[in-house]
Amino acid sequence: MGKYVVKRLLHGVVSIIVVVAIVMVMIYSWLNRDLVFSTDSSYNRQSNNTRETYKHEKWEKFGYLDYVSYQEWLNQLARDGELDEETRAEAAVLGRKPEADSELTEEYTARFREYYESQGYTVTRLDAIVSGRKLANGGQQAMFAAKDKPLTDRIWNYFTGLVSIDNIHRAEEVQGERGLTFTWYDPVYGGTKFSPAIIGNGTYHKYLLYVDDQFPFLHQNFATINLGVSYSVNNGVDVFNTMTRSQGSYVKSSITYPTGLVEDSADDLHTATYMQGSHAASALNQSRFVDDYTIVDTVKGGFSKMGYSFVIGIISVVMAYLLGLPLGLLMARHKEGVLDKLGTVYIVFIIAVPSLAYIFLFKAIGTSLFGLPGMFDMESSSKLMFILPIVSLALPSIANLMKWMRRYMIDQMNSDYVKFARSGGLSESEIFTKHIWKNAAIPIVHGIPSGVLGAMTGAIITERVYVVPGAGNLLTEAINKYDNGVIVGVALFYAILTVVSVILGDVLMATVDPRISFTTKDR
Amino acid sequence: MDHDLKNLGMPEEKLFSFHSHSDLESEKITAPRYSYWQSVFRVFFRKRINIVILSLLAVVIVFAYIYPAMTDFDPYKNLLDSASKHLSPTAAIEHFGFHIEYILGTSGSGKATFDAIWNGAQISISLAFICAAINMTVGVVVGAIWGFSKKVDAIMMEVYNIVGNVPYILLIAVIVMLFTASFWSMVFALTVTGWLSIAYFIRTQVIIIRDREYNLASKCLGTSTVKIAMKNILPFMTSVIVTLVATEIPSYISYEVFLAYIGLGISDMSLGRLIFEAEPSMVTPGWELEFWSPVAIAAIISVVLYVVGQNLGDASDPRTHM
Repeated sequence: MGKYVVKRLLHGVVSIIVVVAIVMVMIYSWLNRDLVFSTDSSYNRQSNNTRETYKHEKWEKFGYLDYVSYQEWLNQLARDGELDEETRAEAAVLGRKPEADSELTEEYTARFREYYESQGYTVTRLDAIVSGRKLANGGQQAMFAAKDKPLTDRIWNYFTGLVSIDNIHRAEEVQGERGLTFTWYDPVYGGTKFSPAIIGNGTYHKYLLYVDDQFPFLHQNFATINLGVSYSVNNGVDVFNTMTRSQGSYVKSSITYPTGLVEDSADDLHTATYMQGSHAASALNQSRFVDDYTIVDTVKGGFSKMGYSFVIGIISVVMAYLLGLPLGLLMARHKEGVLDKLGTVYIVFIIAVPSLAYIFLFKAIGTSLFGLPGMFDMESSSKLMFILPIVSLALPSIANLMKWMRRYMIDQMNSDYVKFARSGGLSESEIFTKHIWKNAAIPIVHGIPSGVLGAMTGAIITERVYVVPGAGNLLTEAINKYDNGVIVGVALFYAILTVVSVILGDVLMATVDPRISFTTKDR
Repeated sequence: MDHDLKNLGMPEEKLFSFHSHSDLESEKITAPRYSYWQSVFRVFFRKRINIVILSLLAVVIVFAYIYPAMTDFDPYKNLLDSASKHLSPTAAIEHFGFHIEYILGTSGSGKATFDAIWNGAQISISLAFICAAINMTVGVVVGAIWGFSKKVDAIMMEVYNIVGNVPYILLIAVIVMLFTASFWSMVFALTVTGWLSIAYFIRTQVIIIRDREYNLASKCLGTSTVKIAMKNILPFMTSVIVTLVATEIPSYISYEVFLAYIGLGISDMSLGRLIFEAEPSMVTPGWELEFWSPVAIAAIISVVLYVVGQNLGDASDPRTHM
């Protein structure tokens, strides 16, 4: 079994990589890359040459291409010690036209062009755009080299950067010695309360291991997952963070900063990360922090996107199994009876009516007949607002489970073992609950992991209709906003969940039914 | 016995004629005449409810295909008439006089809701039927081959695992962005991978019947694989395929509505797009009809098509023909 699961997992990894590759080809190669600027307000403020360089800079950030400006190249040369500062500054001055270049500039631009063209880059020189004698808005001359990233590089970089391990050489400059310290008394809690923590100096995160009162209580920052950086959905934030970061209004509490300053603030000191020079740059940071670990997240009152989706999803899944299975069993038990007929009508209704239509119908019924809130409000403490989304999600899966349960039960009812049990004198209810039910539940069990894991991805329509701030809309939002990083990240996340849940389903099925074995090859 | 024959006063030659043995005649089986499709329809129409549902379907088809052709619907007719926006049925009839197109009121751009939903129904039904036809044809053919050949099975399972994991919404969005959001690019988007799940379903069914004893016997007698597929297996699956069609067609209507709702729909005024555009009206008192009429029509069409298909699927199972 273990060997088989490993083999399946390896297959799964291969298909996930291919899926990501397909998604990357679709969005990076097929789609017009100018679309990424359609929601970018600063793009519209640029004009002429600056717009051109801005475009390339952004495309580099999105992973479309490799981009090097002439100035960056000179800076790199200077850093490597090939150029002294004076020459660099002189060579960096481009003429308005190539003919107007100084001799030194001419020499270096030629080298720049030669160097990058030999590597397959396209070198572009933009002449200054003048209106009258003055430069036009954004008309500065520019020179840069750009090369489209090959798909293989992109996939390689994406998967190698997927998990980043923090180490003590991540930060550029630190005060004191680089290293990890372990303490039983977390300084965030004043250094007197018992709470183990590992604190790093030189790492990217300050707290690598800590305990707090948030689920799952013990947190680590040694390894972080980078699914892809968002651009327009949640600027600069990784998809994984977008999904898991809490939302809502700030929750303030009395915080003791490293300098000893006590303030009412929503800052979560455990999330402190490094940014070079940030301590010196701001008086506020100097009053609070003692080093460059100044970038902190805030504590917010609501769940994360995935949290809301998962809470709603998991309750509805549990509800669906608790109601759907017994109802399907009863329908099969009293076949052609009143309950069976009513149930069939309900199943037909759910299958045939567009999902959008019945969700709106449930919403209308729930709000007008039962007076339940039809809109989700993160600030409200009322638990009532969860009811309608949960019910809307559960009702279709109840119908689905009823349908299959009834089908499997009826298929089993004509089996020989049932006739044997009956001839042995077992009562009908005994036959149903002890024998048929157990056999009919086997294929049902297969769907449980995908139901539970699928709850994390959220439901698109339900969340939209009830304005739930969940994860279901992330993909559609990313598509509408052309946010490639999020699209790839979400696609990968979905693919992992599907692959894992199918394997878990098979394993669970084999555990429930000892007759099922995946190791033998015959079918 | 001898005595009785003599009493008839007839010679023996007249009473009996010699009949020679014929191999051909002895092979004939006498049984009542059985025609498969005739029995299917006999069983189908035995249920009274089917006649009701079929006439409902006929009404829907007439309204969706013949009515718009007769009325020549112009959605922008009342665009400049500021008094024609968001009218309730009574107000619309007061404003325009009694025309059948205004019995459901008007929408935000002044178009008659009644005409709009039937135009939308035409587009949505056409989309559903075309997509179902393409997907079913490709799916059944590929699925049959997939189920029969173990080599194809190994390759296709990998393809299925990979394509099944590419988010469907993303695929549709990319196709819609690459081409235009027209009717035919939506057909392309829904069929480019849509056949795969049908093929997978058919494959599973084929595998179940493939190794049954009667097929094994048929194979031993030298029947070719193609003939086994066509004569032994496909008839067995007619009811499965019809049932599948019954679930597929409404699912395309539902899917079209869903896509339009999340903003990826087609530019034509399909039911989905009507629902999408009327969504803000749903919460405004007095305007709800604009939203609920296309929703209701979509629901009615799907239910009717589904029930007809399911009952036809039941009737096409030969075991019900007794």
